[in-house]
Amino acid sequence: MMLDKDDEPLEPELRDAANAYHRPPEPPREQMWAEIAARRAASGTPRVGARPRRFLIWAAGIAAVLAIGVAIGRLTIRAPIVPPTLPASNPIATNAPREDATAYRVATAEHLGQAEAFLTLFKASVRQGRQEQLASATARQLLATNRLLLDSPAAVDPKLKLLLQDLELVLVQIAQLEPAHRSEDVRLITNGLENGMLVRLRAAVPAGAGATSRQGAL
Amino acid sequence: MDDRLLIARVQAGDATAARELYDAHVDRVYRMVYRIAGDPDQAKDYTQEAFIRVFERLGHFRGDSSLGTWICAVALSVALNGLRKVRRLRTREVGLDGAVELGATPREAEPDLKIRLARAIDDLPEGYRSVFLMQDVEGYTHEEIGQMLGVQPGTSKAQLSRARAKLRQRLADFAKG
Repeated sequence: MMLDKDDEPLEPELRDAANAYHRPPEPPREQMWAEIAARRAASGTPRVGARPRRFLIWAAGIAAVLAIGVAIGRLTIRAPIVPPTLPASNPIATNAPREDATAYRVATAEHLGQAEAFLTLFKASVRQGRQEQLASATARQLLATNRLLLDSPAAVDPKLKLLLQDLELVLVQIAQLEPAHRSEDVRLITNGLENGMLVRLRAAVPAGAGATSRQGAL
Repeated sequence: MDDRLLIARVQAGDATAARELYDAHVDRVYRMVYRIAGDPDQAKDYTQEAFIRVFERLGHFRGDSSLGTWICAVALSVALNGLRKVRRLRTREVGLDGAVELGATPREAEPDLKIRLARAIDDLPEGYRSVFLMQDVEGYTHEEIGQMLGVQPGTSKAQLSRARAKLRQRLADFAKG
């Protein structure tokens, strides 16, 4: 065997021995792909086409409504600490509750409009057999806004409160969807949607809610 | 399919395209990583990590090399960094034990050329070992190795030459015997 020609290829005997060094087995392709896909999904990587982008737009919209909700909460909490000694003719004392009520109506209309569109989209996704990875996350965001609106002192309309409470139940179900029990849970949720929730939401939210709600149309 | 088109589809969120990219390159990546790591669990982990990084950084691929070479470069970086961490951990453990004798290799315990060569390859400096495995074992060109390791092809050639010299030196008595 030649052992001193370092620029020349290895001798066949050594080359054979080197080929046996850490000889790779068949790659566990599916196992590795499952892990890669799960980690990509967990990190929020979009999986198919442009569809998830709609949910990103949604998330931004929901965040905006959430901010409005927080503002309402602050406004409505501030109202009771207005000194009772102010004269009845004081414009601040008389206008504040009305402004609160208007802000509340605007925020609620926005929220219900978004919830209605989200649930419609969710139902359509289920019907087409697609798995919405971001549905639970979006439901959680809507749920946060829903709870803010329910807890607001400006929530005085009993019919609206009932609608928000029922909507909360649906959003909780979607937010808690687990992949293992997904199909059965999804069927129950969509049954619930078909049994009136979407109709009630559509009745509460006039067409073009985004624009009309700002005009106080709820 | 054209790499650019495939990359564009993956970046647009097309899961089928991501799988196509994975299928096209996983065997080569796993093979190379396994040669470097020599352990099925580590090879699996490094391959997975490499593809996750590839998908994250696909936008950084400039086309200076082929997509396959770029993916292998990412995988090689993941594997070598991972092995360095493992090595540091093992060194600490050995240091704590104190009594473990490294490199005690009596000749009669390893009569087989494959075992002798495997030990000699394990003992090569990291750069020599990587180049030797990629060129002499896996058959990559010096240009490809240079692109993967971020060195000139001439450096790759020089390292291969030194790796062979060290291996031949370690196996000299075997050759004579």
